[in-house]
Parts: sequence; structure tokens; C-alpha cells
Amino acid sequence: MRALSARLPWARGAPWAPRASALAALALGILLALVPAVAPRDITLLNLGFFTFLYVAQGLAWNVLGGYAGYVSFGYAAFFGLGAYTTALLWLAGWPPLATYPVAGIVAAAFSLIVGVPTLRLVGPYFSIATIGVGEAMRVLMLNLDRITGGASGLNLPTAVPSKTWFYTTSLLFAAVAFAVAAWVRGSRVGLGLMALRMDLEAAESLGVRTALFKNVAHSLGAFLVGACGGLYATFLQYVHPDTVFSFTESISLVLIALIGGLGTVWGPVLGAVVFYAVQDYLQTSYPTFHLLVYGVLLILILLFEPKGLAGLAERAWRRMRGAPARLAPAGPSGAEPAAPGRGGAG
Amino acid sequence: MTAALALEHVTKRFGGLLAVSDVSIEVAPGQITGLIGPNGAGKTTLFRVISGGLRPSAGRVFFEGREITGWSPHAVCRLGVCATHQIVRPFPDLTVLENVLVAAAFGSGGRLAPRSPRAEAEEVLEFTGLASRGDAPAAALTLAQRKRLEIARALATRPSVLLLDEALAGLTPTESQQAVALIRRIRDRGVTIVMIEHVMRAVMDLSDRVLVLNYGRLIADGPPRAVTSDPQVIEAYLGRALEEA
Repeated sequence: MRALSARLPWARGAPWAPRASALAALALGILLALVPAVAPRDITLLNLGFFTFLYVAQGLAWNVLGGYAGYVSFGYAAFFGLGAYTTALLWLAGWPPLATYPVAGIVAAAFSLIVGVPTLRLVGPYFSIATIGVGEAMRVLMLNLDRITGGASGLNLPTAVPSKTWFYTTSLLFAAVAFAVAAWVRGSRVGLGLMALRMDLEAAESLGVRTALFKNVAHSLGAFLVGACGGLYATFLQYVHPDTVFSFTESISLVLIALIGGLGTVWGPVLGAVVFYAVQDYLQTSYPTFHLLVYGVLLILILLFEPKGLAGLAERAWRRMRGAPARLAPAGPSGAEPAAPGRGGAG
Repeated sequence: MTAALALEHVTKRFGGLLAVSDVSIEVAPGQITGLIGPNGAGKTTLFRVISGGLRPSAGRVFFEGREITGWSPHAVCRLGVCATHQIVRPFPDLTVLENVLVAAAFGSGGRLAPRSPRAEAEEVLEFTGLASRGDAPAAALTLAQRKRLEIARALATRPSVLLLDEALAGLTPTESQQAVALIRRIRDRGVTIVMIEHVMRAVMDLSDRVLVLNYGRLIADGPPRAVTSDPQVIEAYLGRALEEA
């Protein structure tokens, strides 16, 4: 719990924790950026990096609304797909790919507002279910808009693509930007508001938090990043198809990454994405669906034993190594009220 | 002088149930007003209509002469009307200080300047006697401390009007006395207070004026002593005398 205060630098003087975390991220980023220089011909490694970073970026983006604010969306494929198609169409129209990514992000963010303004009024499972509907509806819509999207045959994109090193570095840059955004939000006033509304929407609202606005800001931030990732993915594949870029699997992946890594933590999606993609990449070739079983087991273990995911596990291990007590028990003294009280009745 | 709070013919229906029926009140600034009535009389509903949680079916609500009918709770709060909840609702995973910080950072609507939200939050914790618990997670507080935290959070929004919904319920007599003293000190800071309360002694001690609701209607309004001897009020609480039945 103490770490939480340290996460609010605008409120507290100059805490060491976010700074240490930022330094670690910077060091890791620089190290990873050197990989293409060391192994410029290792296509497998560069591809592995590309996909992992792409998932890191998206997991971090998803976590802003899903983790900080607790709004679990199963519809981010809509943003990914819209981003992918935006880049595809602009690229076909002669734009350089790099210039299309911000536009892809903006299109996705705009769509997130259209979807978010009505659906973010729903709470808990109702919101999640609505997002499944939106995601699937987009996929079917895009399949049928074949004049624009190529429909079931997809769209072939220009074959003149940048090098693997370029993809690796750009993807790493996306992950870095997503990390910076996620870490900044977490420590900012917006982050405090999002955490407050996750714990008690009505109380947050009655203390002056513009909950609807904050939820939509978080949603569109995430959508922007995921949309840009979709664009990068389309460039990499040189081909877009509604069933791939709007797939439900894509949506689920982001939820899994954040859950495995640690909901609402800054490092969680980073760890989650690495594990997620490593498992998938390693197992998919020899056992095409075995990775799903691994995710299932991981999910159950995490929900049972460490709700903060791998990030929570890492924190625990770190404390134990330093000889500090594992964790302060958050439970109150006996006789205290349960943490989540019900609604007040009429007086 | 403009009333701190004014209700004009406020009515709230839930389907066929008339929870609040044609209530008109003006609350003078700086006073403590007690709002009493039997369970289900519509007291909390009335609070929620004022603080923006519920839109009235009819009627209008004014804060310092400005109409706030149907505003969102966050907007009403930032303007200067803050309500505490009957059942306390702390943010359980945030520390006590952070709980108050949320209120100071978001609810004060610029009234803190030049003070920082954090300085304000610390001052409020000091004022409410929670300073020693600042770093504890809110989930670890006792009921009395949670009730205090509820008030502390509301105070950190620098309200002109504070709506207290059963701030004393569930407290031991000693805790209750401390809470009464706290409410008095809040009034001394110039905050207008409207409080729903079932602890009659506290209502009698604190209130400059008492309002009585029964079945959503305002049935009495006046100084505490006058109101408690009103036959209609006695009837609402105790029922009709036998010979009249």
C-alpha cells in the first residue's frame, strides 16, 4: 500500500520508486535497441522482438482503462482493425507507412469515443459484454464492406516494405511510447481519478471526479495506441483481412496479457506480453492449440494466488530478497466493515 | 441574503412511490439544519436530489441563488455542495491520505489555490484527527474512523454546504460525542450543514433548526424544542393516541 503513495509524484515530493522504474525501463529500452546492431541478420530474433513489442504496447494501452479504471473490454480488436485498415488504405493511396500511424491512431480513438460514450455508462460485466458485441459487429461489418476492405479476400498491400530492423525498432519505439504514457497516467491526477472510480464509482463522482470524462479519456488513449499498432502490423504483414485484424482472439490476447502480467500495474503488461508471446511462439508450431491450455492454467493460478499477476509476484520476490516482510495485510482489525459496502437505502 | 440552499416544490417519484412530495425549503448560510423523520421518510432521497445523484421529478434546486437542478454529482461537488454517504464508502485500496487527496484534487473546484491538494489533505486529516492514520489503507480503519474519513473527504472539497447523512449512526457514545464536537467545529469554519440524524440528542444539541419529513412531506420546520413538541411530529414517530383511533 505504501508503494501507492509513491506512485503519485505530483502529490508527494520526489519519490524514488517511479524514477527507478523509469530508469530501469530506459536501460532495458536502450539494451533492446542495440540488438539489431549486434544481430542484423537474425530474422527470427527480430521478428520475435517485433511481435513481442507490439503486444507490450497493446497490453499497456489496454491496461489504462482495463487495469487502472477496471473497465474490462473485449473489444479492442475493433481499434486494432480500424488502425490496420486506415494504414492499409492510406498506404495504397501513396502515403509513406510511418505517416499513416498517427492517423490510424486518431481514427481508432475517434471510434472509441463513439463506442465509449454510450457503453462506458454500463458497469462491470455489462460493459464487458457490450464490448464483445461491438468488436464482433465491426468484424462482420468489415467483412461485408468489400468495396473498401476487400471483404473476405482481404487487401494486398504494397510489396516494397522497410527492413526487419526498421520494424523491430519502430515496434520497440511504440512499446516505449506506450510505457511512458501508461507510467505517466498512473502517476498523474488522471490516474488517481481512474483508481478512485474503479474502487467506488459513486463515491468518486460525488467527490468531484468527472468519471464519464476520465473513462473516455482512458479509453481513447488506449484506442489510439492500439490503432497505431494495428497500422504497424498491417505494414509488416503487407496484407489485411477483416478476420485477422478484427479477430476476437486479438481482443482476448490483450486481456490475457494484462491479467497475466498484473492488472493496473505499469510493468505487468510488459511481463505479460513477453510470457504471452513466448508461450505462443514456442508452442504454436508444434502443438497448434496447446498454448490456450497454458493460458487457462496461468489465468486460474493468477486469479487464485496473485491477483496482481507476474508484477505482483516479482514485487513479492523482490521484497523477500531484501528481507523485508512479504506484504502488509490489507485486512482491517476484526469487526471492521467489509471493504465493499452496499448501497445506502432511502432515509 | 441569498439562501445557501433552496428547494422549490421538489418532488421525487419512483414509479408509484412518492418518495419526496412538494418540499420547499430555504437554508440560511452558516446554520446547522437537522433533517429528521421515520425510516423511509425520504430524507436520503432528498439529499440525493440536492447533490445530483437523482433528478427530481418536479421542482427546482438552488445553491446560493444558482439553479443546480439535474446537475451531475461531480459538478455539484465542485460548485460547493458535498454529501457524505450513510453507508461509508472509502476507496479501500488507497491510503487514508490518498482518499482525502482525491477529494482535494478533484472536488475543490479551484477553491484551494494557492494551497496544493496535498497540503489541504494533510490539514484536513489533522483537523479531523486522522493524521496518525494517514498512511494506513482505508480498508484497515475502524467504523468510527471510516465515518471520520467520510467527513474528511467531504471537507477536503472545501464545501459551502455539507450534507451529512447519519454521520453518527453506529458510533459508541464517546465516539458520538467526538463527532458532535467535530461537526460543531466544521460549522465554526463557516460551513452550512444539513444533517440527517437519528440520534436525537445530537440533533437537539447541534441544530439551529429542525426539519421533519414524513412520507416525503415536510410536516414540521422550526427550532428543535418547538418541533419535538409538535403533535404531528409525535404522531409520525409514535402513532396516534388510542382514544382518537
